[in-house]
Amino acid sequence: MERHISQRFDSDLEALKSQVLEMGGIVEQQIIDSVKAIESVNRPLAEHVLEVENDVDRREVLLDENCTMILACRQPAASDLRMVLSVTKMTRDLERMGDEAQKIAQMAIALSDDGAAPGGYEEIRHMGALVQKMVNSVLDAFARFDADKALDVARADTQVDREYKSAMREIVTYMMEDPRSIGRVMNILWALRSIERIGDHARNIAEHIIYLVKGYDVRHTSVHEIEKRLNKS
Amino acid sequence: MSKVSVKSSASKRLTTMDLVNRNLAKRKRAERRFRFYGIGAILFGFACLLILFSDIIGKGHGAFFQTQIQLQVRFNAQQLQITDPTSKTQLDNANYDAVIENALLRDNGALLDAELPALEKRQLLSLVSTGAVYSLKTVLKNAPETLNQTVSIWLTADDDVDNYVKSIGRDGQGFSGRLSLQQQKWVERWVENGQVRQTFNTTFFTEGDSREPEQAGIRSALMGSLYMLLVTIGLSFPIGISAAVYLEEYAPRNRLTDFIEVNINNLAAVPSIIFGLLGLAIFIGFFDMPRSIPLVGGLVLTLMTLPTIIISSRAAIKAVPSSIRDAAFGLGASKMQVVLHHVVPLAMPGMLTGAIIGFAQALGETAPLLMIGMVAFIVDVPADLLDPSSALPVQIFLWADSPERAFIERTSAAIMVLLAFLITMNGLAVWLRHRLGRGQ
Amino acid sequence: MNSNSGYNRLFDPMAETGQPLDFAQHGLGQRTVGNPFSEKAKMSVRNLNVYYDDKQAIHDVSLDINRNEVMAMIGPSGCGKSTFLRCLNRMNDTIDNCKVEGEVTLDEKNIYHRKQDVVPLRARVGIVFQKPNPFPKSIYENVAYGPKIHGLVSRRAQLDEIVEDSLRKASLWDEVKDRLFSPGTDLSGGQQQRLCIARTIAVSPEVILMDEPCSALDPIATARIEELMAELSQNFTIAIVTHSMQQAARVSTRTAYFHMGRLIEVNDTRRVFTNPEHELTEAYITGRFG
Repeated sequence: MERHISQRFDSDLEALKSQVLEMGGIVEQQIIDSVKAIESVNRPLAEHVLEVENDVDRREVLLDENCTMILACRQPAASDLRMVLSVTKMTRDLERMGDEAQKIAQMAIALSDDGAAPGGYEEIRHMGALVQKMVNSVLDAFARFDADKALDVARADTQVDREYKSAMREIVTYMMEDPRSIGRVMNILWALRSIERIGDHARNIAEHIIYLVKGYDVRHTSVHEIEKRLNKS
Repeated sequence: MSKVSVKSSASKRLTTMDLVNRNLAKRKRAERRFRFYGIGAILFGFACLLILFSDIIGKGHGAFFQTQIQLQVRFNAQQLQITDPTSKTQLDNANYDAVIENALLRDNGALLDAELPALEKRQLLSLVSTGAVYSLKTVLKNAPETLNQTVSIWLTADDDVDNYVKSIGRDGQGFSGRLSLQQQKWVERWVENGQVRQTFNTTFFTEGDSREPEQAGIRSALMGSLYMLLVTIGLSFPIGISAAVYLEEYAPRNRLTDFIEVNINNLAAVPSIIFGLLGLAIFIGFFDMPRSIPLVGGLVLTLMTLPTIIISSRAAIKAVPSSIRDAAFGLGASKMQVVLHHVVPLAMPGMLTGAIIGFAQALGETAPLLMIGMVAFIVDVPADLLDPSSALPVQIFLWADSPERAFIERTSAAIMVLLAFLITMNGLAVWLRHRLGRGQ
Repeated sequence: MNSNSGYNRLFDPMAETGQPLDFAQHGLGQRTVGNPFSEKAKMSVRNLNVYYDDKQAIHDVSLDINRNEVMAMIGPSGCGKSTFLRCLNRMNDTIDNCKVEGEVTLDEKNIYHRKQDVVPLRARVGIVFQKPNPFPKSIYENVAYGPKIHGLVSRRAQLDEIVEDSLRKASLWDEVKDRLFSPGTDLSGGQQQRLCIARTIAVSPEVILMDEPCSALDPIATARIEELMAELSQNFTIAIVTHSMQQAARVSTRTAYFHMGRLIEVNDTRRVFTNPEHELTEAYITGRFG
């Protein structure tokens, strides 16, 4: 009952899922590494993150090809269709996350060249940990097709947004205190912004997972409304 | 390349292709044998048919020709014992035998003066058919002015003369030996003088049965068969088709209809003589119809052919695809419209085939007719359905029993006529089927 | 409700092992999900039960078919969708052992009423069958047959007009106008099926039932017929039974899913093929039966 009559279709979808999780794992590691590189001023680690980016891009293309193949050959419907559509969108978000991690790594390299910024590392560590947990959770939610867990991720994103705003205020004071450090502080600021963007992408993925599992399109709606939809069913 | 494969197969395990190739020749032989069995069966059947036909035609073709003898007949009024050749009564009662006797004696000029012994005289007279008197009568009636004049007339020879003359052409083969040496001499003299000829035997087609082979014909039997066939077609085709349509399209499926179906199937296998008994009991016994008439014969044959027609018609109706029925019903046609517009026209070729097989069977049927008295000796050609008549197969049966050599010929000839009748009917069936099939 | 129940069980073979879904436990015998009812129904079916002898083929089905919509009925073989379709113009009457209970209304009149004659009913609710089944007559005769038996026309010219009009509506006219009097059975399969559609619309029915009309046709002929259905739906109400889910998705506005004689789900086609409400529907359209 649970399996397709066509077992090859099953294995195609399984392969798709594990490819997404693999790609997600790589991107997650990229994020961890890039945040670490910036706070511990570790230039080789940052350069490693840049190298990995090619692999992520290649995987995105491969996943898209596989999705196209399934759409063309299997003509999936209902949950299978949502699965394939979500995967195409999720890979795009994952790739963007990778891009953001790349940007953080570039900031880490710039900081290691220019010298440390007067502050903001604490914020980076804190937000980095939050976002990294989000990414981890969202991949977990995808692995288990868990809409509730995905909703938790969406909730967490609002927290990240709040953190980002207070961190901004904090960092602006550094700039005002020492105008000479503006260049370095800007690097921190860019890194923070990238981390925040990663959180947004994680939220997007969470929304795709909710669409995949429940069939509702919850993009561009507040967490509160999503909760209402989910509880109704 | 083949060398390599042979080598490798010899050294290693045999491949699938090797195994296949090994059996190939055997398989082809079996295939050929199988085909020859079929050809053999067809050839055997064909040979049997050929033997049958050549035998029948060989025996029967003679019956279509009749020997005639030319005599100078003098219509002597005295001998004829008439005065007025235009009077029908006088013509009917005239003594033509005396005229023929006179003509025969005069023909053998030598015999005229000598006093012939009674035996020889009788032998001489028997050379001409007893039916010759009718020819004389016809001549005299058509030309009354020939009274007291001498006319050259071709008279039908007796069947023994006919037989002897035909045997001369075959070096004496098939001669019955029923002519004495004296008679043979007379006949041979006629042959030498050119007074003997073979003409087409119209009598065979225009006359009824007779004790004398040279006067016997199949007209009575043919007409009897035709009338019976008309009755059979007229009754069994509409009844059979109506029954089949009702049973297939309208009747509910229950025990009663099952019972009816089983009975129809059984009836088709009942020996035909039983139908004869049934006809005897019902039509002749109960309804008091006369014996030997085509109407009763036709009724009996109707009973006999009905099961065949019903069964084949039902099969033909069943073979009409249900999709056609659905299509018509789906358009809102009523049951009758579906049946009349679609089912019956589509089933018609099949129903016709079955019916014509049934009719052909009926045409060749003898046994039931024996039971209802159609085996009688009928001389007159029936004019309508209520005149006593014979039937072709019965006529064949009667003639086959007769001792005269000439009846053997006529039996075969009658069989040929019957076969021709059947072939015509089958041809008609094929033509009808083709026509109906094309219309769709 | 546990969030991962439905999807996981259906999708992930690892989530639950072995146990096949027990139909009785999963919604059979409950009422149909989705929106089977409508305010402006052309045909309404209420509590329909159909029996073949003792075997029940349809269990308590209620459904509305709207004016000018294309209603697709899908479901595994033997689910009763064809039987249901044939109930809509009483084609089941021709089957001896078939018994129908419940109510089917056409414009609010019960077609199973004692006094309802099937002949006018079938003129209003036409049917097209799975296998193209033109009469073994000329193309003209095929189309003219319906109008003739119903006495719709009195003059030959009118009949000619109906024949041309019907063939045009079935987009067959251009292909056959030069050989109207050649046999309909000489046409190709797709043309034959369009001829059957022309024959059906010649009596100007209000509802057209289609019983797997494309299952004997190649993809191009199928595409033509699907195109035709879209055009016909402007003037007719169409109910179609199909084995091809893609076809249902392409041609219909609403889709009904039948399962073991029960109507499981009726929803907008868009909904059914992206996010069906019932797990049985989901299992069927994603190919998880067997």
